[in-house]
Amino acid sequence: MLFIELFIQGLIQGSTYAIIAVGLTLIYGLLRVLHVAHAGLFTLAAYLGVTVTNQFGSLSLGIVVATLTSGIVGVVIYRLVYEPILNKPPYVALIASIGLYIAMEELFRLIFGPFGLSFSSAPLQNVVVIFGIHLRACQIITVITNVVLLGILAWIAQKTRVGIGWRATVDDPEMSASFGIDPIRVRYLVFFVGSALAAVAGVLVALLTNLVEPTMGAVPSYKSLAIIVLGGLGNVFGTLIASLALGVIEAFGTIYIGDFLDRDAIAFAFLVVVLMIKPTGLFKSR
Amino acid sequence: MAAILSAEAVTVRFGGITALKDVSFEVKQGEFLSLIGPNGAGKTTLLKTITGIVKPANASIKINDREITKLPTHSRIRLGLALTHQIVSPFKSMTVLQNVMFAAGYKKVRNIGLSILNFSRSSEKKDAMAFLEMVDIAQYKNFPVSTMPLGILKRLEVARALAIKPKILLLDEPLAGLNSQEASRLADTIKLISQNGMTTVMIEHNLSEVLRISDRLYVLDNGKYLASGNPKEVMKQPEVRTAYLGS
Repeated sequence: MLFIELFIQGLIQGSTYAIIAVGLTLIYGLLRVLHVAHAGLFTLAAYLGVTVTNQFGSLSLGIVVATLTSGIVGVVIYRLVYEPILNKPPYVALIASIGLYIAMEELFRLIFGPFGLSFSSAPLQNVVVIFGIHLRACQIITVITNVVLLGILAWIAQKTRVGIGWRATVDDPEMSASFGIDPIRVRYLVFFVGSALAAVAGVLVALLTNLVEPTMGAVPSYKSLAIIVLGGLGNVFGTLIASLALGVIEAFGTIYIGDFLDRDAIAFAFLVVVLMIKPTGLFKSR
Repeated sequence: MAAILSAEAVTVRFGGITALKDVSFEVKQGEFLSLIGPNGAGKTTLLKTITGIVKPANASIKINDREITKLPTHSRIRLGLALTHQIVSPFKSMTVLQNVMFAAGYKKVRNIGLSILNFSRSSEKKDAMAFLEMVDIAQYKNFPVSTMPLGILKRLEVARALAIKPKILLLDEPLAGLNSQEASRLADTIKLISQNGMTTVMIEHNLSEVLRISDRLYVLDNGKYLASGNPKEVMKQPEVRTAYLGS
């Protein structure tokens, strides 16, 4: 039973990593930019989710406001920060992104204070027993939301014209423009979708931990960057598998080697070992 | 007959190198024009300038008298241009049919909401099959493009360009890399497309096929205009022979 419980806890954590990292890898796949400030949008959404829920008493409203706002801010970041420097070497965008993330962290500290924010009455904390496994409602909602969102994303990418246009632009931006696709609109769309996914993750993590802090994006950000390398840069399927694997390894590691290493150290040790053995990642880059 | 496409005073510089200098030409509705010249003459640069891939230092490019010089590539494509590339580069994640379907349905991608909700692609499939049959590769429709030889990919490139239903077809070395039999067959197909009313501009080094299928030649040398006119007469001009053939 412990084994199954740990596995499920790992999937819950891994699915959250997945929706952060998938957004990151979508952006990398299209622009070849490591968008570190993605973690800032994750934190922004967590703050907005908690603030709106506390103010209006509606978690649904909090999620909608956080998702739309972060999506729009993501597009604005692309337009103002990345678009002017896309023809510069990749490290220029990386440095800009790191600088932006640090600025966002400090902005959150100035606006919301340094000590963190919690739900005044944390929703979905009741415990549900499924086949003898005790889970909080927010954990179940987290997995369901993440699976549904990733399913919708896969469906859009594979089955709709927009998804086909987006895949074509990832394959060859110049060629897709030769077939009437506006690459700028595709970039806006990818930044909106990627940022909205990070936003959902931010609100879900706020629900799981009931604590939002200015620096809460840092660790998921480092892990997501490692995950997208592990999954093959730009490879959405590889990123999904790498995220779930990391979540499960973390859950088991916390119990079995938790006396020697803490949760984040276990995750990074796993990533370092895998990347030492296979530096190009477990799956093919795109 | 009025010009459907015109390019006036095209000058393109790459750093300190002038790739095209004050080049002007026009193509009439239904005409088959071939751009020829030695390597480095600026032929591909001229086509890429027309489609907006290369930004000119100076130019005035018009489709049906509409100025398009400042428009981005995708807007020019929507106004009726189609370009096939010298180095074929189909979308690797798609099959042969899906590549042509993507091109056939590109207008429906403009509205994101409608394109997500309207996912029936039967009309694109029907159109795509017609174009695959036109270029004689319908039997390979379900194959991933990564498994296809160059001869098929060159035909796929033409089918994709036709699938966007252009007013003007721009072909960049469609016969390059093909053996003489394949080249002759594809040249026949291109000629047939042109005879059905498609305005065509083709860059090609295969002179025997160029002379066989073109209505008119336009010769560039070292980024400058050299000659234009009836293919056989142009090829008799000594300066063309010197520049192009080195004799």
